[in-house]
Amino acid sequence: MFNRLKLRMQDMGTIKKLILGADAQAHRRGEDEPGAEHYLLSALELPDGSARRVFERIGVDPSGLQQAIQEQYRSALDLIGVDDNGMIDDSDPVISNQLLHQSKPSGQAVMKKLYELKKGDKDAPLIGAHVVAVIAAMEHGVAVRAFNTMGVDQRELSTAAQDEFNSGLL
Amino acid sequence: MIDIKSIPSPDKPADALAAVVALRLMADRLERKTVKRAIEQGWTWAQVAEALGVTRQAAHKRHAKQCLKPKDQNSVRVTHVQPA
Repeated sequence: MFNRLKLRMQDMGTIKKLILGADAQAHRRGEDEPGAEHYLLSALELPDGSARRVFERIGVDPSGLQQAIQEQYRSALDLIGVDDNGMIDDSDPVISNQLLHQSKPSGQAVMKKLYELKKGDKDAPLIGAHVVAVIAAMEHGVAVRAFNTMGVDQRELSTAAQDEFNSGLL
Repeated sequence: MIDIKSIPSPDKPADALAAVVALRLMADRLERKTVKRAIEQGWTWAQVAEALGVTRQAAHKRHAKQCLKPKDQNSVRVTHVQPA
């Protein structure tokens, strides 16, 4: 009973770090609200280090994710013959005046699926690998296109996330 | 320049939708930069709102924080001046 309570408190702290981190990632890139890709970047910065290890398990350097996000925007514009004129890389940070946190729909979907995933596993703490597992299961969106740009096989990534849960490193 | 022939075909909706998302991002960035510049050049919020086709309140709510100059931020500080 006490352990469960302790775990819940720990998870609340992790959720807070994850959301604040996602907000910061979005604002830094000149976006008002975080999407799934910002939650993934935030998960990579969580102190448990598990999100990074999931990528490393499949031989991918996660530090290339931000670059892949930019690249997939440029590729999408290329397809319609639009030159971004450097605007994709040149973003002024957003100074947010929002009192309440608001995510893009893809960010909301991450949080909802994270809750569902954790509901089935109440005895383990919430870690960055959970976020990777949730986003690896997505079919579309900026994060998925960034995976494609990085050459990440989403099924391999899901399996690696599962291996990370089973590794007992935390 | 957008070439109509280069728009992805309807049988590749993923590509077309990715382009829509990227264009939205570009439009947001262009709007933010341009509004900031317009305000610095002396445009009023009413003029900016009219040009963007939104309400004055909407334009102000979205961009006011970005457009605060250091001088404006200092001006909200309460200063106590001793009477001469």
